[in-house]
Amino acid sequence: MVNHAEIAASVGSLQQHLETHRYICSTQIATAVYLAYHLRKPVLIEGPPGVGKTELAKTTAEMFALPLIRLQCYEGLDEAKALYEWKYGKQLLYTQVLKQTLDEVLQGAKGFAESVKRLHEFGDIFFSEEFLEARPLLKALQEEHGCVLLIDEVDKSDHEFESLLLELLSDFQVSIPEIGTVRARREPPLVFLTSNNTREISDALKRRCLHLYIPFPDIEPEQRIINARVPAIPPQLRTQLVRFIHGLRDLDLKKVPSISETIDWARTLLLLHADRLDAELVSNTMNVILKFQEDIENVQPEVRELTNKATKESG
Amino acid sequence: MDQLLTQFIGALRNADVRISTAETLDALSTVELVGYGDRRLLKDSLALVLPKTLDEKAAFDTCFDQFFSFGDRGARPPPTTALDAEPSGDAAGQAGDGQAGTGGDAQDQRTGNARPSATREQNTSVSTDERDAPAAAPGSGEMSAPQSALGQLLVRGNQMEITIAINTAGRQVNVHEIEVFTQKGVYTRRIMDAMGQAELQQEITRLADSGLIPDRRRAVDLTHRRDWLRERVRDYVEHQFLLHADVTGRRLREDMLRDVRLSALEQRHHRMLHDLVLRMARRLVSEHSRRRKVFRRGQLHVPRTLRRNMKYDDAVFDLQWKSVKVDRPKVFAVCDVSGSVAAYARFMLMFLYSLEEVLPKVRSFAFSSDLGEVSQLFARNTIDDGIAIALKQYGGGSTDYGQALADFRRLCLEEIDNRATLIILGDARNNYGDARTDVLKELYDRSKRVIWLNPEPRTMWNTGDSEMRHYSPYCHQVDECSTLAHLERIVGRLLRAVV
Repeated sequence: MVNHAEIAASVGSLQQHLETHRYICSTQIATAVYLAYHLRKPVLIEGPPGVGKTELAKTTAEMFALPLIRLQCYEGLDEAKALYEWKYGKQLLYTQVLKQTLDEVLQGAKGFAESVKRLHEFGDIFFSEEFLEARPLLKALQEEHGCVLLIDEVDKSDHEFESLLLELLSDFQVSIPEIGTVRARREPPLVFLTSNNTREISDALKRRCLHLYIPFPDIEPEQRIINARVPAIPPQLRTQLVRFIHGLRDLDLKKVPSISETIDWARTLLLLHADRLDAELVSNTMNVILKFQEDIENVQPEVRELTNKATKESG
Repeated sequence: MDQLLTQFIGALRNADVRISTAETLDALSTVELVGYGDRRLLKDSLALVLPKTLDEKAAFDTCFDQFFSFGDRGARPPPTTALDAEPSGDAAGQAGDGQAGTGGDAQDQRTGNARPSATREQNTSVSTDERDAPAAAPGSGEMSAPQSALGQLLVRGNQMEITIAINTAGRQVNVHEIEVFTQKGVYTRRIMDAMGQAELQQEITRLADSGLIPDRRRAVDLTHRRDWLRERVRDYVEHQFLLHADVTGRRLREDMLRDVRLSALEQRHHRMLHDLVLRMARRLVSEHSRRRKVFRRGQLHVPRTLRRNMKYDDAVFDLQWKSVKVDRPKVFAVCDVSGSVAAYARFMLMFLYSLEEVLPKVRSFAFSSDLGEVSQLFARNTIDDGIAIALKQYGGGSTDYGQALADFRRLCLEEIDNRATLIILGDARNNYGDARTDVLKELYDRSKRVIWLNPEPRTMWNTGDSEMRHYSPYCHQVDECSTLAHLERIVGRLLRAVV
């Protein structure tokens, strides 16, 4: 069993533990986890795609050895898929069974009033937890020892869904009309929400969360990230490719390469047994880091210069 | 209640970071958790709790650095050794919890060569230019004692006293009335004056010219101390600015801007207007994004049908259908961009494109004589650039509404259907050309709505070459639209109608 309190004792300790789980992060990010743990507030993570927003939630779950419950948001996501659903099939069967036992229950009842009374006395479990199919949000509340709940790309969902989240995020409870309020068991979950900013998240939601913005990292931390994720890569190549990517990020591109693309590229180069960057190699593997033909065409003429710059600086 | 934090939040609010009461409470519990000890940790933590957008984070950064900078600056050793003990009290005193203890050491050391402290105590805490009796003889031989009230106050170096003095002087010059940052210098000087800077200056000059070494030493010492004091006063003013420079001034100006005729606005207001438009648009978005869903029959929704029919003992007769969302409305904006109307077109386009979230299908057209589609300009450029290019490409000709309508008909008559809303922005001054009302009628018949926005006051309509009377029968709605307030109302109504 992992000692949570010990891991979350300080920001530094959290940063270290995240690092041992191969997640290199700034103190700002570690502070977010620290506050999330101690204040039990959800964290809304924003930032460009591919900077490790989802990864942070995954790593946190791993670090605390908690189950990760993930809810991927999309347009049209509703409570039946996010919160709960009734088990219709079983409910149907239940009514069949009920029909047969009904005779016994009503036997000897005098008049309609008494029948109804007996019916009421008869324990009704039609709407009960027995027949409740828990979806991710409800499941997260029901976890006995706490869990990490990741609500991914919340900006993709509808406004209605956002409102649905409010109760969960502020009080760690949900209301099911037929049953009542379901509260979190002993440990409320650690909640992470991620957003790519395709639309403004409502103020009401933001107010209930800590707000963490993860930007692209500087050269040095990014090298450490590559080192953690692709340890086999030669140091010289690593320096060069990170510098190259940083050069690319300064250009005006439709989609700038993110950390995940840097990692992919490092793996690709490793596979090709490269030990240093050159213009030809870069041109050939460009499609790993740039995802738009337009961008590739724009960058192509500048590859040589960028490569030279990246290799020269690293000496 | 943590006063320092509340003040900081006040400063943040002035810097346009929106902070609710709930967030203030969060900040309090955060501070309880992390404490004030670690500046870096405090900043990181509050940055997570208080600002909630990227812009706000930037504002927070500057604000935090300014607000909590006093500790840093005070920590720098003051000019002479006797004052060494002082800085820690400086930070705290300035920040508002008034810790005077450390300053006392310096005072004790100094009493040897200055006058008895009892008398000093009385007049310095008020610290005006009221002059002391001549000081005792420069006994110790090190430095001569200062004579001006301010000089004595500085030499004594009592943290608390100095802070009180600065505050008193600040009140005298009404520093809380500071409104714009350019006033910082003025207020710093005024406070220094009120504290008796002139007198101190005279004394320094006199001492520097004196033949006695203790005097000259004192002059150098006092100069240092004066500079140090000025720094502190500047901090104080900075602090007051953060707290008091309320946004009221700006709000007033914004209120004014909403109601002023758009064409009368000066260039320098455009930046602010842009922000204002964006904010108004955002409000409209949040009001209208709760789109009423219109359902249409589609596929059978099995689970829901079963669920709904359970109460009928499995006899399935209340069918439930999967809903299909009806496509979002299409908006066609046709803007006159000739001379006088261009300014209005600019803001309407800005408005429409800021509403992308609720109005994703806006197509815009610009004309003065010939009409062309400018939608793609906005896809590729920022709103500002797009508008500039559109104005350059299509502006400047003499207006010909007939031609423009005909062009529009040619370009997209096919796409005008019962979901289309057509907004025409123009003064309808056609230079006595053919109005082509037949084209407008055709568009009117096909579309859901035709809205004509005229930037001229209603009384001017139908005068001279204005064709309003001919066009208005073929519009569902005709409105005057000359200020941002108008524009907001109209776009709001448009949203209600189309969404």
